[in-house]
Amino acid sequence: MSVPTNPTGSGMNRRSFLRTSAVVTTGLAALAASLKPLMEMKDFPTAERFMQKYYKELTAAEMENVLARITNEVEKEYGLRPHVRDYKPKNGVEFVYCLNLTRCIGCRKCVHACVAENNQSRNPEIQYIRVLKMPHGSLNLEEAQHNYDPEQVPEKGFFYMPVQCQQCKNPPCVKVCPVHATWQETDGITVIDYDWCIGCRYCEAACPYWARRFNWTRPEIPKERLNPEMSYLGNRPRRQGVMEKCHFCIQRTRQGKYPACLEVCPTGARKFGNVLDPNSEVAYILSTKRVFIQLKEEVGTSPRFFYYFDV
Amino acid sequence: MCRIGRNRPRKSSAGGNAGVMARQPGNGVNAEIKTRSTLSLLAAVFGVLTLVFIADLLGKPAKPASIPLVGTNFLDRATVRRSYADLIKAKEDLSDFDCYVCHEKGKAPHLRFDTNQSLIIPKEHANIVMHHGTHERNNNCFNCHNETNLEQLQTKDKRELKLSNSTPLCGSCHGPTYRDWEAGVHGRTSGYWDHTQGEMDRKDCVNCHNPHSPKFPGRKPAPGPHPLRETPEPASPTEIQH
Repeated sequence: MSVPTNPTGSGMNRRSFLRTSAVVTTGLAALAASLKPLMEMKDFPTAERFMQKYYKELTAAEMENVLARITNEVEKEYGLRPHVRDYKPKNGVEFVYCLNLTRCIGCRKCVHACVAENNQSRNPEIQYIRVLKMPHGSLNLEEAQHNYDPEQVPEKGFFYMPVQCQQCKNPPCVKVCPVHATWQETDGITVIDYDWCIGCRYCEAACPYWARRFNWTRPEIPKERLNPEMSYLGNRPRRQGVMEKCHFCIQRTRQGKYPACLEVCPTGARKFGNVLDPNSEVAYILSTKRVFIQLKEEVGTSPRFFYYFDV
Repeated sequence: MCRIGRNRPRKSSAGGNAGVMARQPGNGVNAEIKTRSTLSLLAAVFGVLTLVFIADLLGKPAKPASIPLVGTNFLDRATVRRSYADLIKAKEDLSDFDCYVCHEKGKAPHLRFDTNQSLIIPKEHANIVMHHGTHERNNNCFNCHNETNLEQLQTKDKRELKLSNSTPLCGSCHGPTYRDWEAGVHGRTSGYWDHTQGEMDRKDCVNCHNPHSPKFPGRKPAPGPHPLRETPEPASPTEIQH
């Protein structure tokens, strides 16, 4: 019935072909141009990183390769050869943190010692510890101040409560992770594999303590402030689009040292140790002090972070 | 195929499709013009978009505001004070502790009190602020210093201690705190929690407390979290109260 104007019978002739292809070409050009920011992407995953296996499936030899890759990546970016290790949990160790609310003066030194130790982004700022200021006789976290900046702390009539990852025994963040990129280790530390995290931020939403932080942009760490003592699950530099949080300074504590926030605390309000050792400081505190709260204990997370008072 | 061709006039030829023309008289030319203008418009829009993206005319996302680095004084792990033992260890000038440059050996210095029974601090010791305890019952030098040998300390039960070994002196009154300190629970610790791998370093009382005025000193807090927005939010009512 109809009269095809070209031999193939497709209804396409030279002119309509040229016209259509002009539109398609300009369209593709626009699409390509809109993807230009991809060209500027700095840490495009290498094949090695992209094909890397799940942390728990890595053999020791494979882990060595991964650590070597990370060492090279960090050296390339920061011009400083780091010492990256993967520290494993020890048997018979369960970490517990105790914080003395009577002693804390709210000076925020722990916040910044943590940032320095754990290579957190300085711009935008990522901080694992948030110090809350509340009036005496109250414990309203919703109304607590965290932007206080008086000439001198402590202020009369207020107490200070630093909050960080509580290393729960029943961690909601681990339950919601769709890819098992975060899990609880045998010594009680909930860790994140930054190479496995897909950045869905479910864990951030699940955490009742607002302990998890997301790298919305590429983290910025000044070279001179980079801590070269790194660990795979701990303080190695993160990429854009992954979660991070307090890991009890895994690179220090699994080598027997105290966490950075404890060592910098001017008042000695922070106490850390192995709760399974009856001679440890934390065992002494839990058995003799007025351990007042596990924060939000009613939600059933069973934190390994205890707040206590001196009498 | 022909049906499709009929429904999508832009696929039809420039010369017109006889069948279509027959059924929809006059539409072929209009459809053709419509198609042509739509396609040209699309091409033009895409062309402009290409230019816009290549030349970054929309601008890049705003860089986050620069945040000043925190001062290194806030990262310092040093204690608030340096004890006499620290000074000895660092081989520093100890002439301040040479009591018998001024005092007479073997003779107890005479203490003077005002009408409120509070100690009058002689001008040679003007740097000492006596405020040990809120009740002020402690304003007597010889509660802690040995009156006949000023370079020694003495506890209430007359044990003599070296100036560099003041912690048991504090412990002789502050028993529960001393017990906590011995357990590593009161005061600062550093080093290793795991004693099989290294030493735990415990600080002395006088590393944090001034023995004459032991209340822990206040300090300027480190900068708080940087506001994400350029304009700070108005302070909440509780902030205004104080």
